[in-house]
Amino acid sequence: METMIDSRMIMTDFLAALFDKLDVAAVAAMSKLPSGEKAAYTLFTDKSGLKECVPFFPAMPANAARAISKLTREEAPSKTVAVFLRPCELRALTELIKIKQASLDNLLIISYDCSGVFPFQKINLSDETKLNAYQDAVSTGKNSEGIRPVCAACTRFTPRGADIAISIVGRSADQPLVLSFPSEKGQTAAKQLGLDVSKTVEASPAVESLARERKTAEEALTEQVNESLSGAQGLVNIFDRCISCHACSYVCPICYCKNCYFDSQTFEYFPESYFTRMTAKGTLRMPVDRVLFHLGRLSHMGISCVACGMCEDVCPVNIPVSQIFKTAGSKAQAVFDYIPGENSDDPLPLLAYAENELEEFED
Amino acid sequence: MDEKKEFTPSIIYGLCSWCGTGGSETAGAMHLQYAENIRPFRVPCTGAIDPVYILRALIEGADGFAVSGCHPGDCHFDSGNYRARRRTAVLKSLLDTFGLDSERVWLRWVGHGEGKRFADTVNEFNDHIKEMGGNPLAKRRDT
Amino acid sequence: MNKGLWIEGPIKKGILDFLNGLLADQKIKAVLMPAKNKGGDSYAWFLMEKNGMLDSADPAPPVMTTQGANVVSYLTKKGPVWEKTAVLLRPCEYRAVIELAKIKQVDLTNLVLISFDCPGAFPLEKYINGDPKKLDEIFDTCLEKQTELEGARNVCTICHRFSGTGADIEIGLIGGKGEGFWLVPGSRQGEELIEGVAGSKTDNLDVRENAISERTILQETKRNNMLDSFQETVMGPENLLNTLSSCINCHNCSRVCPICFCRECYFDSKALSSEADNILQRAQRKGGLRLPPDLLLFHLGRMTHMSLSCVSCGACEDACPADVPVSMLFALAGRNTQAVFEYEPGRSQDEAVPHTVFKFEELKDFETPYIKEYSKEQ
Repeated sequence: METMIDSRMIMTDFLAALFDKLDVAAVAAMSKLPSGEKAAYTLFTDKSGLKECVPFFPAMPANAARAISKLTREEAPSKTVAVFLRPCELRALTELIKIKQASLDNLLIISYDCSGVFPFQKINLSDETKLNAYQDAVSTGKNSEGIRPVCAACTRFTPRGADIAISIVGRSADQPLVLSFPSEKGQTAAKQLGLDVSKTVEASPAVESLARERKTAEEALTEQVNESLSGAQGLVNIFDRCISCHACSYVCPICYCKNCYFDSQTFEYFPESYFTRMTAKGTLRMPVDRVLFHLGRLSHMGISCVACGMCEDVCPVNIPVSQIFKTAGSKAQAVFDYIPGENSDDPLPLLAYAENELEEFED
Repeated sequence: MDEKKEFTPSIIYGLCSWCGTGGSETAGAMHLQYAENIRPFRVPCTGAIDPVYILRALIEGADGFAVSGCHPGDCHFDSGNYRARRRTAVLKSLLDTFGLDSERVWLRWVGHGEGKRFADTVNEFNDHIKEMGGNPLAKRRDT
Repeated sequence: MNKGLWIEGPIKKGILDFLNGLLADQKIKAVLMPAKNKGGDSYAWFLMEKNGMLDSADPAPPVMTTQGANVVSYLTKKGPVWEKTAVLLRPCEYRAVIELAKIKQVDLTNLVLISFDCPGAFPLEKYINGDPKKLDEIFDTCLEKQTELEGARNVCTICHRFSGTGADIEIGLIGGKGEGFWLVPGSRQGEELIEGVAGSKTDNLDVRENAISERTILQETKRNNMLDSFQETVMGPENLLNTLSSCINCHNCSRVCPICFCRECYFDSKALSSEADNILQRAQRKGGLRLPPDLLLFHLGRMTHMSLSCVSCGACEDACPADVPVSMLFALAGRNTQAVFEYEPGRSQDEAVPHTVFKFEELKDFETPYIKEYSKEQ
């Protein structure tokens, strides 16, 4: 565990210090939109907009890794940009860097222990009661009511791999930020911030209790998903309502392909082919390849799935996509002992081969 | 009033490479003076200007966008300018629909030899945009 | 002349009997139409032949899951079907099919398009989260009685092209007396298929036609009034951006839109990506920049690309995860841009999409005239 220190700064001071002391070119964080109801991930290049920042706002209207990919994919910034990321967003970013869809150059990553988010449709800036209850849950280390099922079952909620980590679980919202600086970049930043490193803070026991609650929830979720997937018809039933809009893949941070294989010509058929397929049973459901899309997508990105939950948030017919992908993904990840986004040095399993491995999968 | 005078609008001028650009060259050859704050944007044909280019300029901070190309009947590609006119009509009615100042977009034909007309158009549009003031979308961070 | 055929009895059953008859007589090879999905909580499209007609087939489902025109496009994008296939479509789906045929994303050869007088559809989310059985009942009553569908999607409540006019076969409900429906041929092909079907022939459909025009006038007024008052709430940068503030830039509206056929949308292309420093400059100019950027550009730009062909089917709003009133925005945009060219999407296959027609003399209002030499006032 990294040493945590009392920064003696509240969020607004910290944000200002990023500009004043670290001389960053910009800060990206969740911020209030001028409409006053909704928050969105926003990039600020000076201090004037910082009063709008609400970095911990419990909604994920877009996985920020996608935004950072958009920002850095063509060319990394020439000056430091500080970005706030939830742990799952950070893991997604790490995965995207492995496949060269984002760059870490000149990024200063700030993350925090995440208490989960609400489905983004269900939370507004003006929902005081909900937000207060959420804050209570954060400071006591409990799962807040109404957060997404996949968040409530997330066991990787601590900010591993960040340059600056903020500890918020088990702490009240108005106390000064408790920071740690796990990376070299972070250490340098700590020096520039001129923090008094002697004022260390103990880890809160609430983190442990939240981890336990999450672990139990994860087990329950896994069991429930396994049960619903069991049998030959399990998958077909789960995706029965799917309207084949592919929104889940579009918002997925890992699904980076510009022209998705499943939207490609490969899956366009001559009418005769539809008729042939119809003849088998006299009936053919359209659009075709519905289950194939989900399974195929799972085979393409499941190994990197960070269970961020975006897919489920956008599904127009409420299919628990993320719960399925989280469960199925972690099974595939377990085969290679791979935790997506955990360590930027771990190569993607599908890109690293060994002569002698996985013999149990051979017949 | 003084403030308005101070305001130097940022203006993009989409010119086709046959007539529009030609007009600007003739204006230069005739030593005509025109506002220096316009940024010419040369395209093969006005028909190549998708309304999205104009929208993007307006959303990202341009205060006005003018389009000039060959007069009807003169298009180097036969009908590119008619296409431009249809697209501009769609764009302007959309801007009107959503109260986004369709008057920030002008379409006016300028022939190759019409140096005077070119310089006049630049000045007139520049004054017109000055009169309108800055584009409110330019300062919106939620676009 | 045989203008139509009145078939007495329960509507949905009657339509299915008619289709089964066509299949049995080998007048058509297959039917493409919605049916309940396996779980019974939603609908999907099915291509069915004689021995495969599902009991759950529903010619007029209470929700629109996948827009029918998209399904027709999947089926015929690569070429025409070889044998006659009947397709059951809502009027808006039918109009989208016509638009897609114009831009060669649908091949109408051998298709028999059948449409009906549509009372509207429930929002997809409402149906999925609600009690399907109850909603089915409400819908079926409205279909039969042709009354207003309570709880229908906004864009359905202001639909002014609610009848299947133009299709090869129209299933006429408006103006009917008692339980039953007309089969009204809209083309030579439709006439041939109706030939020999049991029912009472009629050479006078004035009752129906009058009822349709009456309702059309009512709906048109309602549409214009509602769109006008909606417009007031979205006019100006402030209002428009507030309306779009819940949008998460997922582009799902365009993916489900039948008219948005581009495989790679311009707004997902490289054209809109740039270096980090460039994006930082944009943020600096604007006092911040929402990420991912280009949200307003996407919506307005998409409108310039497709609003002329927008049939107001509402698929966009059904698929929107963020409850943005997309279908109303596009209905409004479509009304106003279509008016410029007096164009009505889906009205006739012979009417070309305005973006593909060029005229020497037109649209003077949109040019800024050069009246006189301009001298700068000093």
